[in-house]
Amino acid sequence: MDTQDFPADRPHRARILIIEDEPVLAFAVEDLLIEAGFAIAGVAGRLGAALTLIESSACDAAIVDANLAGVSASPAASALAARGVPFVLLSGYLPEQQQGDFSGAIFLQKPCRADQLIRALRTILPGRSV
Amino acid sequence: MSIELPADATLRAQNRELRARLDEAEQMLRAIHFGDVDALVVETATGPQVYALQGLDAAANRFRGEILAQVSDAVIAVDGEARIIYLNAAAERQYDVTASAMLGCKLSQMYETRWLAHGDERTATRALREHDQWRGENVHVRHDGRVVQVETSATVLYGNAGESVGVLAIIRDITERKQQHDKLLVSEIRYRRLFEAAHDGVLLLDPVTRKIIDANPFMTQMLGYPHDQLIGKELFEIGLLKDEAASQEMVRKLKRMNQVRYDDLPLEGLDGRHQEVEVVANLYDENGRAVIQCNIRDITERKRSDEHVRLLMAEVNHRAKNLLAVVQAVAHQTAKYGDPATFATQLSERIGGLAAGQDLLVKNQWQGVDVSDLVVAQLDHFKDLIGTRVLLDGPPARLTAPAAQGIGMALHELATNAAKYGALSNRAGLVRIAWQVTADSDPMFSLTWLEQGGPTVVAPARKGFGQMVIGRMAEASVQGIAEIAFRESGIAWTLTTPAASALAAPGEKV
Repeated sequence: MDTQDFPADRPHRARILIIEDEPVLAFAVEDLLIEAGFAIAGVAGRLGAALTLIESSACDAAIVDANLAGVSASPAASALAARGVPFVLLSGYLPEQQQGDFSGAIFLQKPCRADQLIRALRTILPGRSV
Repeated sequence: MSIELPADATLRAQNRELRARLDEAEQMLRAIHFGDVDALVVETATGPQVYALQGLDAAANRFRGEILAQVSDAVIAVDGEARIIYLNAAAERQYDVTASAMLGCKLSQMYETRWLAHGDERTATRALREHDQWRGENVHVRHDGRVVQVETSATVLYGNAGESVGVLAIIRDITERKQQHDKLLVSEIRYRRLFEAAHDGVLLLDPVTRKIIDANPFMTQMLGYPHDQLIGKELFEIGLLKDEAASQEMVRKLKRMNQVRYDDLPLEGLDGRHQEVEVVANLYDENGRAVIQCNIRDITERKRSDEHVRLLMAEVNHRAKNLLAVVQAVAHQTAKYGDPATFATQLSERIGGLAAGQDLLVKNQWQGVDVSDLVVAQLDHFKDLIGTRVLLDGPPARLTAPAAQGIGMALHELATNAAKYGALSNRAGLVRIAWQVTADSDPMFSLTWLEQGGPTVVAPARKGFGQMVIGRMAEASVQGIAEIAFRESGIAWTLTTPAASALAAPGEKV
């Protein structure tokens, strides 16, 4: 796992929202992000919960699973875009099989390596040192 | 209009020709009979021989006899009492008799006449009486019983004084022609039925005018045009091809290649209904006359099915990738929290647990999993103990797919732990697995795993992956709360959640 060397006690750690319906994955991503020095803004496994979290929590970026228990996560993507929150799209679908509008996001195919996910997050968090 | 098969056409042509020849022979016989012909010149081996037919001289009579002998149809003359006074060689063959035996006999001794329809006999008699001739079909039964279908042309014979002296009949065996005709009829009915009943549209076009000359019922149904409105139209006029130029192009291509295929044409019916069709046009020769046959198949359903398959493939891909991602995460977590010495065993056990859950979901077509089925599947190693040391108690309840996965993994971890350190690690311990759904307006679902009678429990010093699975992960899978108590008598684990977030509504796809 790519943990790199950033201090866990950094004063302004980037807050990441995790939108993922698979509990094991959500947990694994959470674990990975904490180890990599990010803060978790929240975890949502369903579209409704995701929209509520986007509305209520302060986050700097998000990781979005394209399919939430059979429902397209594109409304969540739109809500994030509307708030100017960059996000990484994680999906088991091939890009051409993707349903819904996720334009502007970095697309990662499941399963992806931990370092790819961390690198993608750093790419969409401009001006931050994490 | 009927579909004309090449075989039909040939037979018809043959019939026409035979009929013309019969007419010709008949006319000649009649002319000879009535004395309209003065003389005939016949090529013989010794040069042209002129036969004068006027008068009843011996040469003329002999000539008449020769002519009749050559005719391939049976010729029979009878007197006023229906006694045979003449029959030619063809008649001898047709009825299997000899002229010498038959002359002077009654006609009925040569064959029995059967009429095809009631009243035919009366019609024939009247025709001969009033018009001196009759022509028609009936059946002759030979002395050996063989049935001959015949076409007869009968003429009244008159003597020199103008008195009726008998009847001359030319009888043609049409048995074979009848059989052919019957075959033709059967074939016509059979192929017409194919045309009428086909679930493909069929259009027949004239290659010269490019206009529709016939359409089957399915075609009229597809287009919504009545049959008579289709006849005379070109393909572009019914929206099948873009314009006249496209129509011309199709005929040009057909003349070059005999077949043209359009895989995907939009077709708009009169009612505006849109269909996707596949058109195969063939240029056929029908006994020297060209015809274009277009088979039009509605492929809307097939395209929809293709699209469905494409979506299913995407779904399969998505699910497979998701599962791989889960396996990847489980492997990470197992490596991170577990003992490196047992990593491989632990990982394959966990993957086995995931597979069991997957099997259940697939078996139920992703319509959710019954709690007791899930428990039994995850406790497969201990299935012999179910009912004795593993006690299940709860109402029928169907978990959603994510809940089934999360709870399934938790049950797997609990069972593995029980077998290693808990109630299933000795010979006396008990595991009670109970679940319930409360009956209030916001029903709660809870599942309890309670161990008793195992070795004294010591709370683990360090939280491993297993604890994460039965804790936070189980909570996340149902948006509920997991409570774990390491009681000395055994582990007690309870997962409580609003029923709405863990259980599938009836019929709901989860």
